[in-house]
Amino acid sequence: MSAASASAPAAGRASAAAPPAAAAVNLTSVFLRLKLSLIRNGLKGSSKRKAAYFTSLALSLAVACLAMVGLAVLHGNAHAGTVVVLLAAILALGWTFMPLFFPSGDETLDPSRLVMLPLRPRPLVRALLASSLVGIGPLFTVCLAVGSVVAVARGAAGIVAAVVAAPLLVLGCVTLARSVATANVRLLTSRKGRDLALLSGLLIAIGAQVANFASQRLFESGGLARLEPAEAVVRWLPPATAVGMVDSASKGSYGTAAGQLAVTVLALVLLLRFWERSLTALMVTPDGSTIAAAKPSGKRESEGGAGAWAFLPAGRTGAVMQRALRYVVRDPKTKSAWVTALAVGAIVPVFNALQGTGSMYLACFGAGMLGMQMYNQFGQDTSAFWMVAQTISTPREAFEELRARAYALALVTVPYTVVLTAVTAALLEDWAALPAGLGVGLALLGSMLCTGALASARFPYSIPTDGAFKNVAPGQGGLAWAGIFGGMLVSALICSPVIALTVFLNVTDQQSLTWIVLPLGAAWGTFAAWAGLRLAAPTVARTLPEILLAVSKG
Amino acid sequence: MPDQAVATGGADGPDGARSAPSAGPAAVRVEGLWKRFGDQVAVAGIDLELPAGQFIGLVGPNGAGKTTTLSMVTGLLRPDMGRVLVAGHDVWSDPVEVKSRIGVLPEGLRLFERLSGRELLGYMGRLRGLPGEETDKRATQLLDVLDLAGSQHKLVVDYSTGMRKKIGLAAALLHNPEVLFLDEPFEGVDPVSAQTIRGVLERYTSSGATVVFSSHVMELVESLCDWVAVMAAGRIRAAGPLADVRGGAPSLQAAFLELVGAGGRDAGDSLDWLGGQAAR
Repeated sequence: MSAASASAPAAGRASAAAPPAAAAVNLTSVFLRLKLSLIRNGLKGSSKRKAAYFTSLALSLAVACLAMVGLAVLHGNAHAGTVVVLLAAILALGWTFMPLFFPSGDETLDPSRLVMLPLRPRPLVRALLASSLVGIGPLFTVCLAVGSVVAVARGAAGIVAAVVAAPLLVLGCVTLARSVATANVRLLTSRKGRDLALLSGLLIAIGAQVANFASQRLFESGGLARLEPAEAVVRWLPPATAVGMVDSASKGSYGTAAGQLAVTVLALVLLLRFWERSLTALMVTPDGSTIAAAKPSGKRESEGGAGAWAFLPAGRTGAVMQRALRYVVRDPKTKSAWVTALAVGAIVPVFNALQGTGSMYLACFGAGMLGMQMYNQFGQDTSAFWMVAQTISTPREAFEELRARAYALALVTVPYTVVLTAVTAALLEDWAALPAGLGVGLALLGSMLCTGALASARFPYSIPTDGAFKNVAPGQGGLAWAGIFGGMLVSALICSPVIALTVFLNVTDQQSLTWIVLPLGAAWGTFAAWAGLRLAAPTVARTLPEILLAVSKG
Repeated sequence: MPDQAVATGGADGPDGARSAPSAGPAAVRVEGLWKRFGDQVAVAGIDLELPAGQFIGLVGPNGAGKTTTLSMVTGLLRPDMGRVLVAGHDVWSDPVEVKSRIGVLPEGLRLFERLSGRELLGYMGRLRGLPGEETDKRATQLLDVLDLAGSQHKLVVDYSTGMRKKIGLAAALLHNPEVLFLDEPFEGVDPVSAQTIRGVLERYTSSGATVVFSSHVMELVESLCDWVAVMAAGRIRAAGPLADVRGGAPSLQAAFLELVGAGGRDAGDSLDWLGGQAAR
């Protein structure tokens, strides 16, 4: 990165006298070979990585072929145009945001590595574009593009349009990804960018839930015809215009097709220009990180515990709660886990209620998801746990530490559960079930806090700070699963009296008495949490060095 | 070096320390300390008595067991065998007495890096049981003295190595410990920050507190320390006042190389092609 500052003179020299060697070598073929050897070398040595690579290759090929065939089968369907145009738009959207959340570590595409080399922008863009067409992702896209154009191409004009459209779509997608990545490369190589990448797990978790419910809804309510208004707009948005062009040409609207082709090509050219310009700017201007470092920071809250923090208790309890809550906002892994829990916890009861398949008790799902955050508390500290360990010398202090962490969790979870239960009740129009639902939720939360504290003390494991999907350090997987699954089973067991009471009241038709579940559940949850913390505290105080060792791995 | 003269002058001097190491109570007493990781013995039976009120250097090559020893002495790593007493209290059986008396800056462990420098100090102070106001007052002063006031609101994750060491030092000093343990406090630190750290540590020891730090930079140890212990392969090779350990050698570096058995190793003629005047 410091190389960036040195690049200006290098670029200057390059333009003053073009090096003869560079002109002789075909840059595109150099980059293609570089890309291939990087893929090859990446697979060397580790059989695990090799297996993972070939599995994902086979899997995506299989999916891509299936999708291609599936799309081709749509040929002749009235809605085929709608489907493929929207699919192309989704594909392009995926390509645009993918580099931000999944920096694939493709070294040929990282311009900061090329900064010391005397390369001219235009051949460089050509070479980079060619090398970014190599890989599983582009292959997958090619299959989908081919399937899409086959689905809508009819007649000679349609076939000609299809032959032009498929490569244009693929090029459009890849160029979109590269130009977005290049424009944001400063962000992506900074700490903030790495933080952003860690949030990708969250996107997948929430996206999957939303997609699941959306597709259910789509197929239930009148099908694809509902999508036509969206398609009418999207077929004019490049690079989906390429597919739209095939559809138009097949239908005989040659004017529209020509317009769409023009938009597609124009957008591609503009995008390439934009990419070239940001690439040039990137390679001849100093690294943004040094500028940022030199700037003194002069913001943030006043000194001491100001604002809403002043409401927290003094001493260790307040300090630990404050730290825990700050980490929810600032630490990408913690944030990702929390937002996933909050979102999925809400999506499940609310969407089910909207679809009429809901139940009051699904609202407990959120409490359970958030309760999971109590597990492996010290692993979430990473090796910074030594700072905590240095200040704990008695079981009492360990209890206070754990209790403060449980408070921080409850501070968010209890109001969240109340609101979520109320929303579910409102959607179901079943206010009578609200107290029981809330009571079970609170009992579940208490039991999760109980088992979470115990698991944190007995089964600590380290959470790698890199990689959105690595939540357990190598070799500690068994430990993690034992803690979490054992804990969840025991949690269910602990709150079973409250569940049993609820079932009993409902089965025996004593609905007028179900309100009693609320105070009982709350009391039971509180007691369970307290007992769990009490039991876990002596273990924590006794095994501080062992916990530190366990959470410092990886 | 003038500052060395001040530092040693503040303590009871090399001669006094040599004749009566037990003149004051030992700040740290280590008895038969062992630690094994699998087949590898990291620390092989250490006995040490570190005098109070001195600047003590623990020196040794990489892998000598310095970090393991400091971790066991500060209660961060459980020894396989042996006993550690800090100010007369056993680290493992009496943590209440020990943990409030020591400050630690470990090497290779993280900090709570998503807090700003100031927030980290506020957090640590409250965990240590200091009143909030007192914590904030001390934090302000430490941030000023350590030249961190300008970046106090930046997250520690964005700090440079030198800034990290300094904020770690501030966190270790916040509760005014009797003994400060620092693992490689100058590693990767620029000269300006190193001088700042040095100034703070000298002021701290001149008031009677003890600093124990590990390093493999001999010049630094020689200019800072009153008392050194040389470690190699998990054992103590020599320990005592600086002058004693140095003995007849021209510098601590020479004495150290002699002690760890690395003296006289030379590149020799094997790299005879290397250099500007070589034929090719």
